[in-house]
Amino acid sequence: MSFVGRRLLQLVPVAVGVTIVVFFMIHLIPGDPARTILQQHATPRAIAELHREWGLDRPLISQYWLFLDRLAHANLGQSLIYGVSAASLIWQRLPATLWLIIYASVLAVLISVPLAMIAATRKDGIRDHVVRAVPLLGLGMPPFWVGFLLIYGFGITFKVFPVGGYGTGLTGHLHAMFLPALTVAIALAPVVIRSLRASMLSVLGADYITTARSKGVPARRLFVRHVLRNAVIPAITVLGINIGFLIGGTVIIENVFAIPGIGQLMINSIFQRDFPVVQGVTLVFAVLVVLVNLLADMTYAALDPRVSFDR
Amino acid sequence: MTYRTHALKALTAIGALVLMAGCGSGGSSTGGTGGTGGSAGAPVHGGNLVIARTADSQSMNATTVFDNESIWIFEQIMQPLYTVTPNGKGVMPWLATSYTVSPDKKTYTFTLRKGVKFSNGKPMTSADVKFSIDQNTKATKGWGFINTAIKSVSAPTPGTVAVHLKYPWAPLLADLSLFANGIVPANYGGETENQFYTHPVGTGPFKWGYWHKGSALKLVRNPLYWQHGKPYLNSVTWTDVPNDNTRELQLKGGQAQIDEFPAWSTVASLKSTQGVTMNLFNSTQTNYLAFNELRKPFQDVHVRRAISLAINRKALVKAVLFGNGKPANSLFPPQVPFYQQSTPGLQYNLAAAKQEMAKSSVPHGFSTVMLIPAGNSDYLTIATIVQSELKPLGINVKIQQLDVNVANTDEQSLKYDMTLTLWTMDIADPDELATFAVDPKSGAKSFFTAYNNPQVVKDTHAAQRTLSTTQRQSLYNFVQSQSAHDAFMAYLYYSPYPYATSTKVHGFFVTPLGNYHMENVWLSK
Amino acid sequence: MIEPNVGGQYFAPGSGAVIELDRPPADRSTQQRRATWYRQPALMSGLVITAIILGLAIAAPLLTSYNPIAQNLNDTLQGPSAHHLLGTDQLGRDTLTRLLYGARVDLRVGFIAVLFPFCLGTILGSLAGYFGGWADLVIMRLVDVVVAFPFYVLLIALVFVLGPGEKSIYIAITIVGWVSYARLVRAEILVAKRQEYVLAAQGGGLSNLRIMGRHLLPNVISQGIVYAMSDIVQDILAIVTLGYFGLGIPPPTAEWGSMINDGQNFLTTHWQLTTIPGLAVVVVGLGLSLIGDGLADLLRPGQ
Repeated sequence: MSFVGRRLLQLVPVAVGVTIVVFFMIHLIPGDPARTILQQHATPRAIAELHREWGLDRPLISQYWLFLDRLAHANLGQSLIYGVSAASLIWQRLPATLWLIIYASVLAVLISVPLAMIAATRKDGIRDHVVRAVPLLGLGMPPFWVGFLLIYGFGITFKVFPVGGYGTGLTGHLHAMFLPALTVAIALAPVVIRSLRASMLSVLGADYITTARSKGVPARRLFVRHVLRNAVIPAITVLGINIGFLIGGTVIIENVFAIPGIGQLMINSIFQRDFPVVQGVTLVFAVLVVLVNLLADMTYAALDPRVSFDR
Repeated sequence: MTYRTHALKALTAIGALVLMAGCGSGGSSTGGTGGTGGSAGAPVHGGNLVIARTADSQSMNATTVFDNESIWIFEQIMQPLYTVTPNGKGVMPWLATSYTVSPDKKTYTFTLRKGVKFSNGKPMTSADVKFSIDQNTKATKGWGFINTAIKSVSAPTPGTVAVHLKYPWAPLLADLSLFANGIVPANYGGETENQFYTHPVGTGPFKWGYWHKGSALKLVRNPLYWQHGKPYLNSVTWTDVPNDNTRELQLKGGQAQIDEFPAWSTVASLKSTQGVTMNLFNSTQTNYLAFNELRKPFQDVHVRRAISLAINRKALVKAVLFGNGKPANSLFPPQVPFYQQSTPGLQYNLAAAKQEMAKSSVPHGFSTVMLIPAGNSDYLTIATIVQSELKPLGINVKIQQLDVNVANTDEQSLKYDMTLTLWTMDIADPDELATFAVDPKSGAKSFFTAYNNPQVVKDTHAAQRTLSTTQRQSLYNFVQSQSAHDAFMAYLYYSPYPYATSTKVHGFFVTPLGNYHMENVWLSK
Repeated sequence: MIEPNVGGQYFAPGSGAVIELDRPPADRSTQQRRATWYRQPALMSGLVITAIILGLAIAAPLLTSYNPIAQNLNDTLQGPSAHHLLGTDQLGRDTLTRLLYGARVDLRVGFIAVLFPFCLGTILGSLAGYFGGWADLVIMRLVDVVVAFPFYVLLIALVFVLGPGEKSIYIAITIVGWVSYARLVRAEILVAKRQEYVLAAQGGGLSNLRIMGRHLLPNVISQGIVYAMSDIVQDILAIVTLGYFGLGIPPPTAEWGSMINDGQNFLTTHWQLTTIPGLAVVVVGLGLSLIGDGLADLLRPGQ
């Protein structure tokens, strides 16, 4: 079976594992979605009625079977709080988060590559140390800090970008999402720069580069063709590995910038005990994470013929 | 700017005083005349208003939803027979214009306003009214309880509706003015209940636009609205911006014209910001510290009184509200009818607190847990302050922050020692609060405290059944005084509804119940 | 966040594949490496910064006479003054005092929160890498399931279940965080176990446990330590995020995370309340990252 096929097949046990964990975890956490709706007016009768309506009065196992059965028909169930299909909620909110993640990744790479190049080619010089140290500041800064700094700077003082929101239309999104994407990119950059620099250094030191140089191949061509290409691989790894952290970590960014994303939906649903939505979002995440990692691996295989997969 | 704000506040206060006299039948059919932008010329037609709010709505189903962010929206679409006056103390005709009562006080006959149409063009008739009220009565998992005294509703003519009660019931008009008794088309216009509420149709100034969950909800102008010339705005959009700072910045940057609930710490700076009006509308919101009498030693009145006496409410108002509020002295807030100004709610007196402790069953103090929902910074501040204020009494308080859902569950099943809680009125009658708070047999078991003073309970029930205002006043006076003495909860403070608005916004006014009438709002250029 | 192992080897997530690049042989002896550690500027500056912060934290009671949880409601939100060098917070508590005492809490929690995942991850990773086969399969599938969850979501859900508090934070972070260490160690061991000295030891009849413990681990553990340095900062930030949802260290303990969160309410009026503890986190992060960088440089073969 092909590599891709094998990996996709591995998706299945992972997805099943994830659904089991999430289902039982969210049902076993203390708390009741009926309380979210009824607030102070929660009488035993009202609670019982809601539980009946939602099928929560049945034994947990039978609820799980119902969930799996629905899943098999591509039905994620209905949001207990909103009363609309969980799938439609997720579908509505997913684009904003995807925008954020992809935009942030692109910005991170755009920032990191030139900086890493400077650092790698001037190793141990002042520029190297500066490039390595300054982004470290970004590593420790709380994201809402950076977010508000950017909003103050470019949303209020210089009215270049809107204050939060998602925008409408392609240009609207590009405009509105720039500051939040930049905030995430600033947090990502130190890690990406470090690994890019490291891999560039090891490529630069490799035999075939020295040989090519001695043969008179121009430095720029060498750089673009070989160094960059080989160095980008770990950057992709890093981004791929961090998708899991990114997706959860965007919650605060989504909160600060009022972006209607999946992170907020997930967190709110946990707080409100909106079981179907929590289950649905987690499943979507799990699939996303596995797919993104698969993509990263496939990019490797495409870029680097030396890649070997041993088990 | 500051002078202007003072002037506006004075105008609002005077306006409220003037309208305080009106209640029952009669009164004007327009909404409040106070609010933002006092004297700025004639209203401008057109414009799209954006309100940045703290959270998304849950559902538009008026009979089942308890969430304010939903209620304040669908109130612009569906209207009840009566609505609350701007001062919150009475009701005035809305979709009904007058009523008569039968001699046995058990049948009310309402005359419906003529010429009212739903936004889909169909005229409103008594069949719609009967259907709507009946639907609410059926909502046992929702607001059905508010119609508990109603036996049946009949529609003798298309222009009149008769409500038949089980017994005389003083709060009836107030109950009918609740949004849950708002008028919808009979049989939901042929749709199912759930279908209908995905795009509700009503007689209100606005009709359904769209709802992008988690992002924005938009309502558009209803050209068939029965108040001529209104609404002024073309549309209102509520955007979901959970972060306080971001909402404030959006207002300052012009992206939103109204900032719902700015943080108390920012009120002072907003007051002095160019282009911004900082409104503090009178509210019925009261914050309490509740004691669970099923847990020792809170069954001991001396312990409860001691704790209540040890709390410096002025300090709380300063530290939490930044001065925007006042210490509470009664179970009822001042904006509720039959509030007793002289209610002797306990105030800060450390010496008296120590005396009470000495008289109590635990004179040397004890350890206890204060339960609060997580993520609420005001509650956290109150809890931290109270924690330190109870130390001199030998009471060691541990603060337990639980997830909101679990905190509510524990509180409502009386699995806590002390907890912070609050109340806002939904109707212009104290009955809803009184029954909720002091009746151990009500669903809430005396505001989840298990407080049981038989005389107080008896008086609360009596006040429901008598229509005499003097009698109700004296009954509620006793309820307030006695419950203050029993200190079943420590009354903390009354706070206003803070709304920061752009100076371009005019006519925006929030009633003490928390709702607002968008048909009166207009945007200047 | 997870970084690929900086020794020149990269592993593909999820599949357990190991991608090897040309790796020049190590040409410096351990002795030579140890001799030059103090010449590394990154390592040195990192150590200095961290030592200073540690020192300040330990000396907190000597440096300030205030009690970190003592409220003074008449003196709230004061700016810097002679009495309060960094001003006071919304309950009148001295900011400098809370900063210093908060350092103790955060550094302690940061280090401990890294210790458990480090140990658990190293053990599981070694088992997977050394024995391969079923052990590898099961452990890596477990890794996949954990990784498939968004980090913070799992963390929040776990702290919910366990109830907020320091212990729950440790347990939750361990359950979520062991994964990175496991993968790092496994990748290192996969390469290391083919080295001559290991094959020799196996041929010589040494028990597997001995080989893993005595010979392999000391050589592969360095990568874990490097990673742990940045992980500490990530954990401190995780506590800030948890505090955002009310699941952090409970009040009234002075701790940078809760200071940052409390201060957020005053961002537009008294921004120093949230900025100062934030800066503290940044400085600690800088120090630890420099140590990590320096160690990584030191351990990178052939440089």
